[in-house]
Order: sequence, then structure tokens, then C-alpha cells
Amino acid sequence: MDIIGTLEKIVGTDRISTSQTICQSYQFNCFMGREWEMKPDIVVMAETTEQVSEILKAANHYKVPVTPKGVLGGSGHGGPLRGGILLDLALMDRIISIDTKSMKSIAEAGCSFYKLSQELFKNGLILPTPSYCTGPNVAASAIVPANGFGKTRYGPNIDLVEGFEVVLPSGEITRIGSLAYAETDFGPYYRYITGPDLIGLFTRSNGAFGIVTKVAYRCLKRPKRWAFHSYYWRREQIENVTKALMATTAAEIFDVHINDKWRFLWGGYSIQAKDCYFVMMFAVNAENEQELKGKEQTVEDISRSHGGTYLPQLAEAFYTKWPTVFYAALPHTRRKPSTIVIPAETRFYNYLLDELIFPTPRFPEVYNKIEELCEKHGISGLPLPPVFDGYPMKSQVISQQTWVAIDDSDPYWVKQFYKLQGDFREWFGNKGGTFQMKVPPLVPDFCWTNQSGTLNLLKSIKSILDPNDILSPGTFELGGSVKCKN
Amino acid sequence: MQKLKKTNLQEFRKKWSLCLQCGSCYYPGPIVPHNWVDLPPPEWSSPTHKCPSFEYFKFRAYSPLGRANLATLAFNDNQFPITDDLIKIAYTCTSCGMCAEICQAKQPLAAIWALREELVQRGAQLPEPLQKIDANIKKFNNIFGAKSAPQISDDIPSIEEDIYFAGCTARFQKPEVANATIAILKTAGMDIAYLGQEEKCCGFVPGHDGNTQLLEEKAIQNIEALNKAGAKRVIVSCAHCYKTLKYDYPLIVGKLPFEVVHIAELLSKLIEEKKIKFTSEIKKKVTYHDPCFLGRHCNVYDEPRKVLKSIPGIEIIEMERNGRWSHCCGSGAKISSSCYPEYTTAITKERLLEGKQAADTIVTSCTSCLAHMDKTVKKEGMKLEIHDLPILVARAMGIKPN
Repeated sequence: MDIIGTLEKIVGTDRISTSQTICQSYQFNCFMGREWEMKPDIVVMAETTEQVSEILKAANHYKVPVTPKGVLGGSGHGGPLRGGILLDLALMDRIISIDTKSMKSIAEAGCSFYKLSQELFKNGLILPTPSYCTGPNVAASAIVPANGFGKTRYGPNIDLVEGFEVVLPSGEITRIGSLAYAETDFGPYYRYITGPDLIGLFTRSNGAFGIVTKVAYRCLKRPKRWAFHSYYWRREQIENVTKALMATTAAEIFDVHINDKWRFLWGGYSIQAKDCYFVMMFAVNAENEQELKGKEQTVEDISRSHGGTYLPQLAEAFYTKWPTVFYAALPHTRRKPSTIVIPAETRFYNYLLDELIFPTPRFPEVYNKIEELCEKHGISGLPLPPVFDGYPMKSQVISQQTWVAIDDSDPYWVKQFYKLQGDFREWFGNKGGTFQMKVPPLVPDFCWTNQSGTLNLLKSIKSILDPNDILSPGTFELGGSVKCKN
Repeated sequence: MQKLKKTNLQEFRKKWSLCLQCGSCYYPGPIVPHNWVDLPPPEWSSPTHKCPSFEYFKFRAYSPLGRANLATLAFNDNQFPITDDLIKIAYTCTSCGMCAEICQAKQPLAAIWALREELVQRGAQLPEPLQKIDANIKKFNNIFGAKSAPQISDDIPSIEEDIYFAGCTARFQKPEVANATIAILKTAGMDIAYLGQEEKCCGFVPGHDGNTQLLEEKAIQNIEALNKAGAKRVIVSCAHCYKTLKYDYPLIVGKLPFEVVHIAELLSKLIEEKKIKFTSEIKKKVTYHDPCFLGRHCNVYDEPRKVLKSIPGIEIIEMERNGRWSHCCGSGAKISSSCYPEYTTAITKERLLEGKQAADTIVTSCTSCLAHMDKTVKKEGMKLEIHDLPILVARAMGIKPN
């Protein structure tokens, strides 16, 4: 029997496809651009951990690469770099349990954050991770470096993960962290069990060490009271902005968000203050009114002491909007009637310059550099100037993305964009910057060369765990293995 | 005749940008979770199962996102291989519009329709049933290839300001709907005309299977005939005809010289103006199935419900998925159901079972949905009544079926 026959036996004939077209539908796996082709040769849809295990055994036997996939294709991660099997986990989307007393939840890999989040909310809990859209899955956002807002006090999603169920490349099903105790009387209750913390091994691994099939999250009690405030600073106050970012992060404000004013031009907000340039928005929460007042006072004291001016209503509108890419369409007004082919709006195409992590104290340098390079390459100015979107997080780091607006049907602007990105990456890499969202080797080589010791250790572990290199092959290699269309 | 507008596929192809790949158009689960303070209001809750074809075939290729990916690849590469699978993927989309309802920014359905146009322009062979329907329309002016005259009351003029546009299904498969509609309007005191043989298929199927040239031909013929008949207002029974006449024809010829209304809208108005009087009670628990092309595509949700509510004795119980989140009946605008009946029957059965859980009668406002559901009910031997709105209205007005 060949690999196809074996896989058909495992998942059934209607859950596997070698159709060129079906494989191609997964290939276009990047963020609003056409950078990467990551086309699988076979698509397999697993519905249980046991099926995943059998699939990996078969893949090992036939030495065929396997890359797991959730739904979101956001920044270009999650696609097979070397072809082979794309293991689509979209059908593994069950919520296994929500324990309101211990404030834990367990869900299958493909369960969307929205789904889990809504159920937790109904049960008086939250995850401080309101993603923008349905797609992000509980596993995918742990095995790739996903960030977003709501992270200032609690950090990235992975900091809330307490356990994984993982299928190792050999097909062995193993449970680590709290899930190692899933079958005991106490059940899963703590990430840090006897011995080293193995969850980190699978974090940001792109599935190269094993396929995560279940995730246990520790949840937070849903706070009763919330308040949202915004302050603005002038362009020349960038050092003050940085101090305010650091101080509010140190004060463990629930969420801090930083934008330049261009964000609000895109978003359709209207800011009246003529001298407004940087805007910080804060979300605070508490159990009671007194505690809330205290936190609001902290935000005010920090902002004002660093030269911020109060900007009414902006944060209230921002945070109490439903956190979804669909907020523009909500509350749902009935849309325009559809016509056969709706003329596409003549609009600029949005490109994500890069998604970065860097130390908060270095915010002015990074911001100024992006601005300088955008001007150099002509990607600046009205009607849609580049937008800085930053999420300060604990550890005094900023998770950040810059949006630029170009017309991607015009090769000139696409070329300018890549020149800008290249220049910026060179500068950023020399500084020691790191990336979020994208998984190596989709990020520049400096991400690995800046940490060569770590890379060597990862390669050693990989060769032991996955001697046939079947799981997400190419993850720990320098660039060049990716077919780049542009 | 006004000049035809050039096809906008070229422009669409150039400007269409790939979606964010967020998966909300098909992925199970809510599209809005909660903000920090509240859960979203119930009317924002999208159904767990969204895309009928993804739910059936399971591969992402059969989701709006997968199709949009393939469309983008095809738009960008004129050598992109047109495989049998690509054809199947393109034409199993029922065009229910759920994805476009969710993703209001990027309109994946528009990309799917544009992909079909692209396939036709590249000379791809459409699935055989579509070739036949298009040929029938060309030759016989109706989707069924019917040669005989429709069984619609001939006691009706062909020239008036108000013209009833019955559509292929009411003319040839469900004439009782057409006759009931005419009788209601006459009883309500309206001078209503019907084009008879001059009424051609509206061109919905070719317009949405990618053969837009044929749609354009039919649009011109119908508009000319309606103009000749002195139409100031055109009343349609079928949701697909409604969408085509009201929103697609103006894309082809510009502003129409007449108004287009759906019978549900007109009935609601006539009831409000007290021009329709009910004489009989209809003691029924009914549920209303929103036709995709009347609801999501044309935003007509309230009027059919107003009509039903005004009928004495009727109790309306909504299905779990209703209004803007209503699930497709599987007709797939005649496109999917003609080509992939096994798949669309599965969707229909699911919808009928949902209807059965709510009530013993499903009422709809589209002859095509009616015909498709009715056929499945009979085939499956289900104990469920399916009616088009005018049938119940006529009955409550004491109009005897013709």
C-alpha cells in the first residue's frame, strides 16, 4: 500500500485529497501579498488525536513531510515549505472542558479563540486575547508567535498555556505541562510539573517538534468593572511617549495601545486636536469602583506627568467596539445589495511592512527609522500614510506592526515596498530585533544568525525527535528554502 | 436602447485583493466574541455552520476563502490550470451569500462570481446541466427548454403600467403561484398585465454561471418588452428574477425606466393600504424561509413576515437560522442544484429538518426555493407543507385556486 492508500485508511477517502486545485487553495498562504507559495501535495483532514498519530506514523514510514495547519493564513506561516502533507486541523474544533472553579479551559487545536472566548465569557472567565477575527486557533496561536492587544499585563497567549497534548513525529501521543496530569484525580492544574517546562519546546516551533492537538489555557476571572481612557502627545514628545509606555507597563495596566495619528485616518475616527500625533489608549479593570478609580488615577497621573493630554471618548469607542476585523460593519447595517460582480473599490492595497518585537525604551529609534525609510522610498504622506500600531507588553517590549498603503497592481510600488522592507530589515537585524507572527525561515536570516547557539540546540533536538525530518521541514533553516514569487 | 456597459471583470480582476484569510466566512464559531464588557447582541450571532459547501465537502477549497484564493491565482496567472476540480469548486458554491454577509469588507462571493466569469472567458466547459440551461434560455427563452405556452391565466392584458414578471419557475413549474398572484392583485383592484410569450428568462443563471453575455441579451430583450408594454412597475415572484431585474439590469443598461418590486413587498404594501382583505382563517403554525436572494442579497426580510402576520390564524415560529443568518435551501440558484444534486439535496434536507423542528409548514417567497424544497419533501416523503407566500394570501382572501 502507498502513502495515499494508508492515509485513506486512517481518515477515510473523503478527508484526503491530492487534487492539484484543492492543494492550490491552501497555497496562497500569506498576508495580503503574494510572497510565498507553500503548496502541499496532499491535504489530509484529521478529526481526532489518534488519526493525527496514525498519519505521522505513516508519514514517517514513507518519509513524507507533514505540516499542520489551522485556519488563519495571516502572515504566511502555517504552510508547507517542502510540500508533502498539509494536515488541516480545522475539524478538530471542540471545546473539551471549561472549569470555572480552577479557571481552566481545554480545547482542541483547531478551536477558534472566538469560540472559546465566548464560552469562557458566558462562564464568567476571559482570556485576555481578543483576536481580530474568527480564524486564530488555540494551538496555532501558541506554536507561532502571535500577539495582539490585551497583552500588556499578561503577555502573549503562550504565557497562558498550561498544557499541551502533542503527537510527536514518531506518532506517540504525549501530554505535557498540566495535561500530563489529565488522567489523575486532581486533573490538569499547573503548567510547572516535575522536571523542565517542555511547553516552551513547542512554542513558536511551527509544529516542527510535534503536532499540538489539545491546549489547556489558564483563564482569568472576568472583571466586573472596566474603564478606557486615551491621551495624546505631540510628534516632538516621542521621548515622553516612551516614558509613559514604560511606566504604564510597569504599573501593570491591563492593556496599553500605541498608535500614531494616521491609524485614525484609516479607521475613520476624527481627532479634533490639531497637535495630536501619538495616541495611547488604556484599558483598566477592577472588581469594584474604588479599585477602578485608583487604576484610572494611575493612568492619568502617568500620562499627565509625561506631558500627555486627555483625549476624550477615543479609547471608550476603541475598546468597547467588538474586537473584530468586522467592527467596521458592526452594528450590522444591511449591506448593499449584491450585483453580479461588484466593482472592486479603487483603493490602496494594504501591506504589512513587518511585525516586530523590540524593547520599549527603543521605541523612538524604531519609529524614527521606519518614518525615515518610508520617506526615502516615497511610501509616505497622504492620502494614506504608513500606520504604526503597537502593543506594549510585560517585559517592557513592544509588539508592533506598520501598515503601508500601496497599489499592489502597480509593479513600481510593489518594488518600492520591498526596497523599504529590505532596508528596514537590515537595520533592524543589526540592532538585534526579533519578529512576531512570521515563523522562520519566512523572516530574515538574522533571526537565526543572531542566536546561532539556540539554532544549533534546536537542530540537535530536532534530529533526535524527528530523525526523518518529516515535521514542518525547513523551519530551522536559513532562508532560500522558500519559493518567493516577488 | 441604452448602451451596454462594458464588463467590469477586468477592473475587478485588477483591484481584487486577497482577503485577510481570517476564515470567518466559513470557520465554525462566532464572528464576534465579546468586547471587554459585554457579549455581542444576539442578532450579531452568526450561525455555527456557515458555508453549505464547506460543511459538505470539508476541504478549504470549498469554502469562500479557498475559492477566493483560487480566484486570485486564476486572475493573476492566465496559465492557471482549469481542472475538473476547479470547475466543481466554482459551481458548488450555492451563492447563498452567507460569506458576503459576514465579510462585508472583502466580498468573497463577488470573487467567486468573477472566477466563473473568468472560466467562461477562458473557454472552460461549464458543467453539462448549465450548458443545457444556457442553451434552453437561448433557444426557448426559459431555463427548462419548455416549448409550450405557460399555464398562466390568459384573462390578463399585456399592456399596463403594472406588469407581472412571473419568471421561468412560476410559468412552467409552479403556475399556481403565478395565477394566485394575478388573482390577488386583481382582487386588490390593480390593473395588472403579463407579457406572456414576450417574457423571457431573466438571465439569472447565465449571469451567475459566468455567461454574462447571455444575461445581457436577455436583459435587453426583457427591458425592451417591458418598455413596450408601458411598464412603470414590474412585480416579480422569484427572488432570483428580483435580484437580476432590480440590481443586475441597471449594471448593464443604467437606470431602469421602471420600478422593480417583489410580490412580498407589494403584498405588504397592499395590506397596509387595506386593499387586501382576508376572509378566511388559516390555522397553521408556519415558519418562514428567507430565500437567499431576497434576504441576504436584496435585504428584503420584514415584508414577507408582515404579510404572514397579517393573515388571520397564522402563527409564525422562526427557525433557528433566520433572517440574515438564514441557511440556504440548497437550490443554489438552480446552478448547484442542477449540477450536483446529491450535494444540494443534503443541504435541502438539513434546511427542511430545521423547518420541521419549528413548524409543520414552511413558507417562502421564491418560486425557485419553493420548487426545490417541494421536490425534496416529496422525494423524501417528509410530512411538511411548503408554500409560496401568495398561495397562502390567496387562500386567506378566499380566492379559489385556478
